[in-house]
Amino acid sequence: MSALDIIGVRKRYGTVDTLKGIDLSLESGEFLVLLGPSGCGKSTLLNIIAGLAEPTGGDVRIDGRSVVGVHPKDRDIAMVFQSYALYPNMSVARNIGFGLEMRKVPAAERAEAVKKAAKILQIENLLERRPSELSGGQRQRVAIGRALVRNPQVFLFDEPLSNLDAKLRMEMRTELKRLHQMLRTTVVYVTHDQIEAMTLATRIAVMRNGHIEQLATPAEIYERPATLYVAGFVGSPSMNMLDAHIADGVARIDGSDVVIPLPYETSAKGTPDQKLVLGIRPESLRLASDGEAPAFEANVEVVELTGPEIVISATIGHQRITASLPPKSDIQAGTRRRFALDADTLHVFDKESEKRL
Amino acid sequence: MSSSWVNTRAWLLMLPLLIVMVAVIGWPLIDTVRLSFTDAKLVGTSGNFVGFDNYLKMLSNSGFQRAFLTTTWFAVISVTAEMFVGVGAALLLNQQFYGRTVLRALMILPWALPTVVNATLWRLIYNPEYGALNAALTQIGLLDAYRSWLGEPGTALAALILADTWKNFPLVALIALAALQAVPRDITSAAMVDGAGAWSRFRFVILPYLAGPLMVALVLRTIEAFKVFDIIWVMTRGGPANSTRTLSILVYQEAFSFQRAGSGASLALMVTLMVTVLAAIYAAVIRKTAGAN
Amino acid sequence: MERRSLTATIFIHAFALLLAAIIVAPVVWLFVMSISSTGDLTAKPLHWWPETVDLSRYTRLLTAVANTEGAAFVAALFNSLRVAGMATIAALVVAIPSAWAVSRTPAVGWSLYAVIATYMLPPVALAVPLYMALAALGLLNTVYGLALVYLTILAPFTTWLLKSGFDSIPREIESAAMMDGARLDQILRLITLPLAAPVMATAALFAFLLAWDEFFYALLFTSDLRAKTLTVAIADLAGGRVSDYGLIATAGVLAALPPVLIGLFMQRALISGLTQGGVKG
Repeated sequence: MSALDIIGVRKRYGTVDTLKGIDLSLESGEFLVLLGPSGCGKSTLLNIIAGLAEPTGGDVRIDGRSVVGVHPKDRDIAMVFQSYALYPNMSVARNIGFGLEMRKVPAAERAEAVKKAAKILQIENLLERRPSELSGGQRQRVAIGRALVRNPQVFLFDEPLSNLDAKLRMEMRTELKRLHQMLRTTVVYVTHDQIEAMTLATRIAVMRNGHIEQLATPAEIYERPATLYVAGFVGSPSMNMLDAHIADGVARIDGSDVVIPLPYETSAKGTPDQKLVLGIRPESLRLASDGEAPAFEANVEVVELTGPEIVISATIGHQRITASLPPKSDIQAGTRRRFALDADTLHVFDKESEKRL
Repeated sequence: MSSSWVNTRAWLLMLPLLIVMVAVIGWPLIDTVRLSFTDAKLVGTSGNFVGFDNYLKMLSNSGFQRAFLTTTWFAVISVTAEMFVGVGAALLLNQQFYGRTVLRALMILPWALPTVVNATLWRLIYNPEYGALNAALTQIGLLDAYRSWLGEPGTALAALILADTWKNFPLVALIALAALQAVPRDITSAAMVDGAGAWSRFRFVILPYLAGPLMVALVLRTIEAFKVFDIIWVMTRGGPANSTRTLSILVYQEAFSFQRAGSGASLALMVTLMVTVLAAIYAAVIRKTAGAN
Repeated sequence: MERRSLTATIFIHAFALLLAAIIVAPVVWLFVMSISSTGDLTAKPLHWWPETVDLSRYTRLLTAVANTEGAAFVAALFNSLRVAGMATIAALVVAIPSAWAVSRTPAVGWSLYAVIATYMLPPVALAVPLYMALAALGLLNTVYGLALVYLTILAPFTTWLLKSGFDSIPREIESAAMMDGARLDQILRLITLPLAAPVMATAALFAFLLAWDEFFYALLFTSDLRAKTLTVAIADLAGGRVSDYGLIATAGVLAALPPVLIGLFMQRALISGLTQGGVKG
């Protein structure tokens, strides 16, 4: 029995289909990240799981039990909101214990549970303060504590790190990972930040326009993106997308005479003259040594040293390409250089369907 | 939380308010409409149906026409005065000077006075034998003999307008002041650097920020001015010679003095209609200017 | 604007003085009249300051001795307090759930606009049927009847103010409480209302002032001291054959005290409440 099942969930607001049919299953202990830009439906899906919204169709099951129509407080879930939603007029201790207070848990038991959660989150010294006296990171911990203390089946996080500055965000990310490893809780986590997704998730659901483009582990999403969209969303700097077509069994880049052999499994599936989009991650390109293949020539236009790497912007014909090279590379703007790549780091997509070939 | 349950719950929460309003306002309003088509008296008979008689008589009645003009005149002059003096005061209060905070706090005084107290105060000031206005004007030398400001048809309405304007311009001033203080400093500085003089700065930089709140103040004040009753009743009762008889006074006389509930009701509805039309016009203008911005 | 010429400064100070005089003079005169003897007030030329300050009228008006004008004044004062107090409390009771409903469920908002639109009705439009209805219910000339009518004046405005107040309390806090298992009444009592306390105080004061100021309905629906409010009492004094102008002025000063005091101390809140409603409306 899975911890969370989402079966054919649809949501319609007026004439707009915000969710067009979502299916997924979570096992206990998994950390699922719903990743996508604003408007893709990820927050709507989270709200439906939480019970703050009802689906227009489909079912949601927690621990095998259907919860559609069930009040949020009876679903055995806990939620951490983007704005933390702490009760401003209550102490941290009361904030954390409020859920237990509402369920009429005796005061002694409550205090015990609150102390335990505070200890895990290292905020014991803040228990008597008010939310207004806390920093952003501290408030976040209180919000997590409030969820923790209820010991729910599923934890829901709604973009919890968006309101933090960059440094704090990195710290809290690590903290969340640590917590998850320690507590082995089942989590559904919504974000638009691909780095958060990659580092925290056991599985990622990349969402777009109300459906899931790909549901897979972070490694798979990065190494074998199923669609152009997923490929472009994850990875920084983002993947190069080059228009090409199949000619004589190889890929020929449009607007140039550069040919690149297709990976074995792909070449079997392609049809002659098929329009393609070649996906090449900037970090899979390197300066070619003599005679190395496959390789191609490109006009180097801009060279930027960012510290850990050099980012090159070059052109093949009329198309742009970005490469990420080691910092000591010998390369200048305004020259024409040869770049090599490993054939198995090439991602081939059909231009029409945008799907991987 | 299904959205239909949320909606139902919202309506249930609104029920007390809606019940009270429908019972105490909705129902009497409908009854007023019914009355307006009858010749009912205030007490006793419930009257016979007379169709549009009341309305036709009213429209051709010179008393009604006169009251309409009086009310319109009152509204236009007092609201205009309140706007100009109010904005002027706001511009002044936006400057730095000694005692500015004190003056700003004092501005609330006229508005805080109960309407009846204000009316009484000015009635005493206008008193024909002992009033402060007469005393002051003669002592300065602007006046030769004491006048009965509220007793002469020529001056009564003006005297009322003055009293009403005095009471209400501070409210306009405070609303305008709040709007002025929301104008970003950068823009006025930029305009100054660009060479704009005080008047140009006012017209192109400040006025757009003022326009919104002022329009709202204008609508509210105009509606109030059309409904005016209290101050007129206490100061002149609608006299002398009906020169200050506004529409609300007319309705009161018709319904309660002459006890003609039916025709009083029709008058009341006419006034309501006028105010509603005015408000609708304003709303349209506001929407237009908001759209333009 | 830092730079300012000397002439400009002089002008500004002069106008400021003028404005101050305009605002303050009539109010001060009211007070001076209340402490001047009739001799001072009827003298020609008028005495701008009394020869002897006479505070006796204040004690005259504020006595409890029966059958004096003081007793009438005090009775009217208590009537005003009772009517305004009851109407304000009733308005809050009715406004709080409605304001919350409109704030959290915009779909029902149109009914609030309809309710607020009743502001455009001149009181005369409702006067006749209301009079008859109150008479039929035996509520004429009672503080309860008047309070009921005032409720319809105060409730729309109070609801509007409270709605703006509730709007600024994030919904997520209430969602979090709901997920924590709190019922609606618990959410309101423990979280929303405590956070909205300042707005509610402002709304209550505003409502009280509106009720205190009301004249027309009080004039129509009350006839004797069992229910007559302060505004009617003063109008009686002013319109009657009373020739003690000082007494009238004293009544005016006393009636003006509550709203003036509230106005002076609550200025910021009052203005922001008005402008907020205006900007949104």
